[in-house]
Amino acid sequence: MNPRRAAAAFTSCLALALAALVLLAALGVRVPATRAQTPEADVLAIERQLRCPQCTNERLDVCELRICEDIRTQIRQRLAAGEAPDSIVASFRALYGDRILWALPRRGFNLALLGWVGASLLAVLLGGGFALRRMRRTAHPATAVLTPDDEAWLDHEIERARDADGPPPQQEP
Amino acid sequence: MNLTATIGAGAVLTALACALLAIGAATWGQRARRPALVGMARRALAVTAIFTTLAIATLAAALLRDDFSLAYVAQVSSRAMLMHMKWAALYSSQAGSLLYWAWITSLLFAVFAWVTVPRIPWGAAHAIAVAGGVLAVLLIALAFIASPFRVSPITPADGMGLNPLLVDRGMLIHPPFLLGGLASTAVPFTLGAAALLSARTGEVWLRAVRHWALFAWLVLSIGNLLGAWWAYTVLGWGGYWGWDPVENSAILPLLPLTAFLHSAMVQERRGMLKLWNLALVLATFALAVFGTFNVRSGLVASVHSFAQSSVGPYFLIVLAVAVVGSVALLAWRAPHLRPDHEFDSLLSRESALIVNNYLLTAIALVILGGTLFPVFSELARSGRISVGPPFFNGTIGPLLLALLALLVLGTVLPWRRSAPRTLSRRLRAPLVTGAIAAAAGAAAGLRDPFALGTVVACVVIGHVTLREYALAARGVRRASGASWPAAVGALFDRDRRRYGGYLVHLGVAVLAIAVVGSTVYQQQSRAVVAPGERFRAGRYTLRYEGLEERPGTANGVQSELVMPITVSIGDREVAHLAPGRRFFANFPNQPTTIVAVDPGWREDLYLFAQGWDSAGNAEIHAFVNPLMTWLWFGAAIYIAGGLLAFAPVRAPARARAPEVPDMHDAPPVTEQYV
Repeated sequence: MNPRRAAAAFTSCLALALAALVLLAALGVRVPATRAQTPEADVLAIERQLRCPQCTNERLDVCELRICEDIRTQIRQRLAAGEAPDSIVASFRALYGDRILWALPRRGFNLALLGWVGASLLAVLLGGGFALRRMRRTAHPATAVLTPDDEAWLDHEIERARDADGPPPQQEP
Repeated sequence: MNLTATIGAGAVLTALACALLAIGAATWGQRARRPALVGMARRALAVTAIFTTLAIATLAAALLRDDFSLAYVAQVSSRAMLMHMKWAALYSSQAGSLLYWAWITSLLFAVFAWVTVPRIPWGAAHAIAVAGGVLAVLLIALAFIASPFRVSPITPADGMGLNPLLVDRGMLIHPPFLLGGLASTAVPFTLGAAALLSARTGEVWLRAVRHWALFAWLVLSIGNLLGAWWAYTVLGWGGYWGWDPVENSAILPLLPLTAFLHSAMVQERRGMLKLWNLALVLATFALAVFGTFNVRSGLVASVHSFAQSSVGPYFLIVLAVAVVGSVALLAWRAPHLRPDHEFDSLLSRESALIVNNYLLTAIALVILGGTLFPVFSELARSGRISVGPPFFNGTIGPLLLALLALLVLGTVLPWRRSAPRTLSRRLRAPLVTGAIAAAAGAAAGLRDPFALGTVVACVVIGHVTLREYALAARGVRRASGASWPAAVGALFDRDRRRYGGYLVHLGVAVLAIAVVGSTVYQQQSRAVVAPGERFRAGRYTLRYEGLEERPGTANGVQSELVMPITVSIGDREVAHLAPGRRFFANFPNQPTTIVAVDPGWREDLYLFAQGWDSAGNAEIHAFVNPLMTWLWFGAAIYIAGGLLAFAPVRAPARARAPEVPDMHDAPPVTEQYV
């Protein structure tokens, strides 16, 4: 068989096999279309927005401290009494401050952290772009004089040589 | 006089003397151009390992003999603990873990002195001096700040025992690998510093450093993955990575190290990024020291931290010296670190690898900022906040997704340059596969765009990577007529780093899919149930059988309270699980969680008990974590790829030509010495 056809056939088979695999995996993890919203699920939904006021990085719903048990009981009772979830979260925030919120609120000094993220990305983007541009600007003139046709021909030849050569030569570890 | 304490402390002091001798002899030998002195420094560096081994053996013996005259033994061990947990107690606390760190570092430097130093005539004296300096820093802390050989004023009849959270088999493997990985970053640092000091920053230092960098990367990766497994099976919150400040400290050095393993290829192939590569190995070590400082200083609160001690300020000084020294060295040599070749095109493998480095740098900066932010927040507002998963998942997630996409480009793009037509031809089939995957995923209910994007990227990675194996193996078959398995095996013989690296990429893809599955599609439920009562968690029906109390067995466990659960799917019983609590005699206020997991290829059912009452009612927390087994499977592929990349190549039939170092202006003393 022509090597190119063989490669194309192989690629098609691979694509189908992988797609089938993904389909199976995706079916395996299919999320239930409708989740039963029990009262306990409502309680959990609020607890997941809060963290333990004493531990580091521990969500309220999984913390075993007595204080967290008490907060969970309060949430359950207030929810049963008909209080809105947002109002419950707000009351705990008023009591303990922002540190009780699981997600960092985007206000006040916390914006400095978002600023840090933005500055980091910008620094990497600008610094990296500058470095790439600097490396590119001083490119070898020999490679710059090739026309697009020449480039395409060269790529074709390199590709042909690559196919004919098989694996790369032995390298040291 | 306490003989054990005398032997241990004496061994540490002698090891320190050896390290200082190595520094002095190497420096003097280099200045006076006396090879005999450099040879002596090399032997002194190796001998340091003998004395640190004696020190750790002394501490281990004290733990095994229940010698509570040592304060450290009384603090971390007890008569009730089994022998293997007494060994684990050795590195469970501040002073012992420092000794373990110094011991591993000295062993690595002994191997380095014996195997690598003779191969680096261009910088042997510098390397020995830097290695001696690193060891001296650790040994000074051990000798004068946090010694495990301090004698108790009164010898207690029994010790306190290991902290309950640490009484687990994971303690036998996770800390040794993590500490070993952090310790091993010292060797690439030493080689980088030696290269800068001796002005040998070309291929010769790269050849010397790449195996050590790969080793450090592999051990650190295993340590982090074992940490995730330990957190999942012990801590009882349903997850495996909580973006805790200490977890962040452990993963931070891995990022520049991963960047280095990729950018080193650019320097090897194209003679570019010399300054950057040196900066990466120096930054890796600085971040390892930062992690040490973070864990041992109490700077950022964490469940993993050691008790606050005077070691913290000491390591802050060490960190400052490491950072300032590294920046000064880089600035000093920067004018001489020009690339051999210039950058040809944006459509090239080197450009993909460079952008990969940028992304890893951005990820490291974001993690560093998020880890330290609570400190700055406290300084600014006198109130401490925690930065947790919502911040890190929201910022790091998209960067990791971009990294996955780049991994595809890095695999398909050729070196130097590529025509857009070539790139599109190579990407066509993988993108078709990706499109099919996207359609299949959407049809199956994957609605989260991030989850869908990750699945598509990972499937495309799978396609391009397997195609690389297939094309190369086909070439081998054509040339030799070998069978397919033999041809694939031959690939690893020919270029372990490349094909081992591809296997790591496959592992990363499997890991990424599992991470998305287990976080985005995790289901959580909780119920307070009476004995015999049932409740549902996902597709499972759980029947609570009633409270059972069991007596403790060993390791200071007084008793266990378990809540047996029978798990069914429909009418079929699939598992019997027993979550509960474990109580310790010496730590009555610190019961630990007994997590119960029913693993499966599709999902894990993860249970822990959150409460109970005297009537026998229990509060059970259940998580259904999709694809968790695949996470460990992906980790295994990742580690296997790393091991294959690291394994030595079989000796070729013909003798390899000896390496010829770049000698034209090497210091004469080290040339003669070797």
